[in-house]
Amino acid sequence: MRLLAVTVSIGAALLVMTATPSYAAGGDAIFKKSCTGCHYTDGPAKEKTIAEQLAKKGPELWYAGSKFQKDWLASWLQNPKPIRPLKYNSLTEKNAADHPKLSAGDAAAITDFLMGLKSSEVKAGVIKPAESAQARNIYAKKAPCGGCHESLVNGKPAGGKSGPSLAGASKRLNPDWIYAYLANIKAFKPVRDMPDFASALNKKDQMSLSAYVATFE
Amino acid sequence: MSRFLIATATLLGLTLGAAGSAQAAEPKQVYDFYCAQCHGIDGKGKGINVTKDFATDPRNLTDSSEMAKRSDEDLRGVIKDGGPSISKSALMPHWGSTLTTDEVEGLVKYIRKLCDCKGK
Ligand code: HEC
Ligand code: HEC
Ligand code: HEC
Repeated sequence: MRLLAVTVSIGAALLVMTATPSYAAGGDAIFKKSCTGCHYTDGPAKEKTIAEQLAKKGPELWYAGSKFQKDWLASWLQNPKPIRPLKYNSLTEKNAADHPKLSAGDAAAITDFLMGLKSSEVKAGVIKPAESAQARNIYAKKAPCGGCHESLVNGKPAGGKSGPSLAGASKRLNPDWIYAYLANIKAFKPVRDMPDFASALNKKDQMSLSAYVATFE
Repeated sequence: MSRFLIATATLLGLTLGAAGSAQAAEPKQVYDFYCAQCHGIDGKGKGINVTKDFATDPRNLTDSSEMAKRSDEDLRGVIKDGGPSISKSALMPHWGSTLTTDEVEGLVKYIRKLCDCKGK
């Protein structure tokens, strides 16, 4: 019990110490203070069971620098619009659109920090955004990506809701990361409700599909 | 306070216990995580992904007369290899490279509970 009290007061002291004005701090320091409660940045993937995935309050960010486009990240952090149609880890509740918002200065600092978090799984310069009839067919019919993901069809969101929306993927995601994710999803997410397509789709299909998703407005 | 602590400790113990044996995760947990998104928690085929854009309704897994026509081997096959492996819709994905053999076995038993039926 006394130990508890001591821990609490040390905790309080730490809080006071870290509550310094954020303009003076680097992105990693701001991140530690405001974001680590819901996101982790030290890879590789920690979640190994369904229970561990469900305990997470937000997506892992340890490969953020390979996954996102820098401009998108800096502007999303200032004006975070829902990405997943549903609340994180829920199949029933809607996304409440309540992500913390950052000032332009903090967003820029955190963007620099997050863009430094690269994954060696992602080879640069392999995928160029491109549409193809073959990829469109896989997306809509063969692998039914659209069964779980929204994208814009004639300007309106269409498709399933359990996965993150892929609308705007052309601005949000790094095309090379999409390919790495399809080719070796286990390296990024050992436990997730998306099927592993690494062997069901051949390398050529994975590449054309990644190039196609990378065109999504 | 101390009662609260004990309750918390007990809960934690339970959760940890569950995670410890998670190599063979509970069939209900596996179903709710992977399958309910389309088949629904209750198995009736009305999961969150089933919008007007969803071309083929996921099978109602509680339909005992339909499900009784499938053998356990049929169920294993379609879960592992997906709809096209039995000339059905590709909207039923293949889960063979995602789930372990034990998890698939657990799901077959769980589906038999949902339909309250035996395989042919
Ligand atoms: C209360 C929990 C919580 C906190 C605190 C939080 N986030 Fe998030 N974050 C989430 C959730 C949940 C999502 C998913 C949002 C969505 O899909 O619309 C998310 C999404 C993100 C994403 C996009 C990730 C992806 O894979 O789509 C980034 C980047 C991000 N957060 C950065 C931050 C930063 C930087 C901070 C600190 C300033 C922060 N978050 C604080 C819960 C949190
Ligand atoms: C059964 C549902 C399901 C199917 C089918 C599916 N996905 Fe996913 N997908 C998900 C879920 C759920 C996630 C989020 C995983 C996580 O981060 O926990 C995801 C994540 C993704 C991401 C990363 C998005 C992000 O912002 O983090 C991409 C890209 C993606 N899927 C593309 C595809 C493609 C391409 C296909 C078809 C080959 C496909 N998906 C099929 C459910 C699905
Ligand atoms: C992306 C949506 C989706 C997900 C996720 C999904 N299913 Fe299906 N499932 C379907 C659809 C659609 C059908 C119906 C196919 C048809 O009738 O052509 C189906 C059919 C089935 C069938 C019946 C096949 C038959 O013989 O008629 C079984 C059994 C089944 N699914 C089990 C599962 C299990 C177990 C899981 C989780 C591991 C799962 N499904 C996940 C969409 C899905």
